[in-house]
Amino acid sequence: MKWRGAYTLIGLVAALFLLFGIFAVLLARQDKSGFLSLGNVETILRQSTPVCIAALGMTLVIITAGIDLSIGSVVAFVSVVVAWFLVRGMYPAVAFAAGIVSGAAFGFLNGVLVSRIKVGAFIVTLATMLVARGAATGLANEQKIDAPMSWLNSLLAVLDSDQKWMLLPSGVWVMVILAILTHWILNSTRFGRHAVAVGSNERAALYSGISVDRVKLAVYTLMGIFAGFAGVMMYARLSVGDPSTAEGFELSVIAAVVIGGASLSGGQGSILGSILGALIMATINAGCSQLGMSNWIQQMITGGIIVISVMLDRVRVARIKDR
Amino acid sequence: MAIAMTGSTIKAHIGTWTLLAMLALAGCSSSTDTTQQTGDSKSNEKKLRIAVIPKGTTHEFWKSVHAGAEDAAKELGVEVIWKGPLKEDDRNSQISVVEDFTTQGVDGIVLAPLDDTALRMPVENAKKSGIPVAIFDSDLKDTEVVSFVATDNEKGGRAAGEEMVRLLGGNGNVIVLRYQVGSASTMNREKGFLAVMKANPGIKVLSDNRYAGATVESAQTEAENLLSGYKQPDGTLAVDGIYCPNESSTFGMLRVLEDNHWAGKVKFVGFDASAKLIEGLQKGYINGLIVQNPRRMGSEAVRAIVDAIRKNPVPKRIDTGATLVTGDNLKDPEIAKLLEIPK
Repeated sequence: MKWRGAYTLIGLVAALFLLFGIFAVLLARQDKSGFLSLGNVETILRQSTPVCIAALGMTLVIITAGIDLSIGSVVAFVSVVVAWFLVRGMYPAVAFAAGIVSGAAFGFLNGVLVSRIKVGAFIVTLATMLVARGAATGLANEQKIDAPMSWLNSLLAVLDSDQKWMLLPSGVWVMVILAILTHWILNSTRFGRHAVAVGSNERAALYSGISVDRVKLAVYTLMGIFAGFAGVMMYARLSVGDPSTAEGFELSVIAAVVIGGASLSGGQGSILGSILGALIMATINAGCSQLGMSNWIQQMITGGIIVISVMLDRVRVARIKDR
Repeated sequence: MAIAMTGSTIKAHIGTWTLLAMLALAGCSSSTDTTQQTGDSKSNEKKLRIAVIPKGTTHEFWKSVHAGAEDAAKELGVEVIWKGPLKEDDRNSQISVVEDFTTQGVDGIVLAPLDDTALRMPVENAKKSGIPVAIFDSDLKDTEVVSFVATDNEKGGRAAGEEMVRLLGGNGNVIVLRYQVGSASTMNREKGFLAVMKANPGIKVLSDNRYAGATVESAQTEAENLLSGYKQPDGTLAVDGIYCPNESSTFGMLRVLEDNHWAGKVKFVGFDASAKLIEGLQKGYINGLIVQNPRRMGSEAVRAIVDAIRKNPVPKRIDTGATLVTGDNLKDPEIAKLLEIPK
């Protein structure tokens, strides 16, 4: 298991480098440089931070053989909540905290519905997706909310020349810290092992005395907290609370997690893999964009990559069943 | 659960990733041909590279802007890179495009911002990196740019309003289906129209708080819901006039009017043109369209940014005009030229 994971990660890193190389060469052929520059790496990291953070939670959810379709809407809701608080003159830290709490609340709601009512996660989160989008639009009074600029906006802003010592914007560092934390939770705590057990075989987990419901409740609540962070980052990027933002966001996140080696049938997934998956998608977007490629080609490439990832998932599942 | 890594699994992984890389490569190399490059390439002097970023790529309006930008590029000997947000009308997506071109270091950016606030930061960053930015179609709040090239939308909205008053003879109930929140251009068109309505005491605005949304599909749904509220028992509409502020909302509304056999029975003024809307005009389903000059907008915007790079003086505000098109003046050569749809 450890070895398989390692090979997947090596494959992902290789793919990322390969993509960088391909784009650098293609851009150089068009007489465009700068794809290999640090500035470009920073741009890609800034652009992918919301997806990366949400992918942390989604990895946990998918490891328990669940899914969360509501996160795009929750991210929009959180961006509106943050702007709503800022516009009323609250401290940015308060708005930040309110964003996380509202994300967590939606996660908790998902967790309760999935674990207590025992309807499939797909349909539950499809419903909360609509609820959260509606709540966002309502709270924003069917508009976007223009909030005053604050330090929140510098989370994912380009670093000023006197901030270069930070190497990367603070929001990216927040993502890195959250990733390390989630990696630790997944691999070194009892809760992490239980999550894997629930996803591998729910009945067996139940018989071995694991409180499956509690594990699920915790996993979806964590997902909500990460959606909260992702929403704050989205607000930082937009500088407005936008109830229409992050439409289809959940699909990018799920794609990142699956590209990263997680199995949609549960029991498998890695944090580093999911981050690499998100970076691969962001790199493709940035590269295609800089090439001035037509959007339809770019969309087909992204779609093709998701198909391949799902194929990879199928191959894995088939191999496990073989044994 | 412990599963040993077998040789075939390794091969499967390597194989898949190679496939992935090839796919990406195939997509990219084909794009090198499709990237729009114009102008004279014989000269050895490095050609200026101008990124033109519309709000979306599927509306015919943007296709005309693209054609205009290419006209100017050919004339000025520069290269235009045309790239819209990956997700139509998605602010975050458009921010990413601006950032990508900033990182790449193009010589100038011409942008139609999806949001008057959200696009400020990326534009400021581009300027900080020494890339001049010109704005077209919709304005950006409190940001110093080379020039703002656009239709005077409030004026266009007023023209639509005056036509509506004329059509209704100064009396009647009117509905405005708004486009989308945060889009400055359409908000001004709504504002101009509503100002004229307010100045005419015989006219009552029944509804002006519904939004069509980004797509024809969303506009159609919204229009259907909106109008069904004014349906009378005999199937006719309790509405005399309808106004929509852009192409997708006008077309969505037109489809609903046609489907319910209301078309032609209510005065309908729209904004922007497309083949389908012109057809509606000919059939008398639409009474008037305020038409902008997107082609001129595209060429003027590129011209403005190139002038700025070449240190020529550039006016801060360039109005590209708005014209009322009706069933009667449709055949005028000047109007026909305005309505010509680029290939």
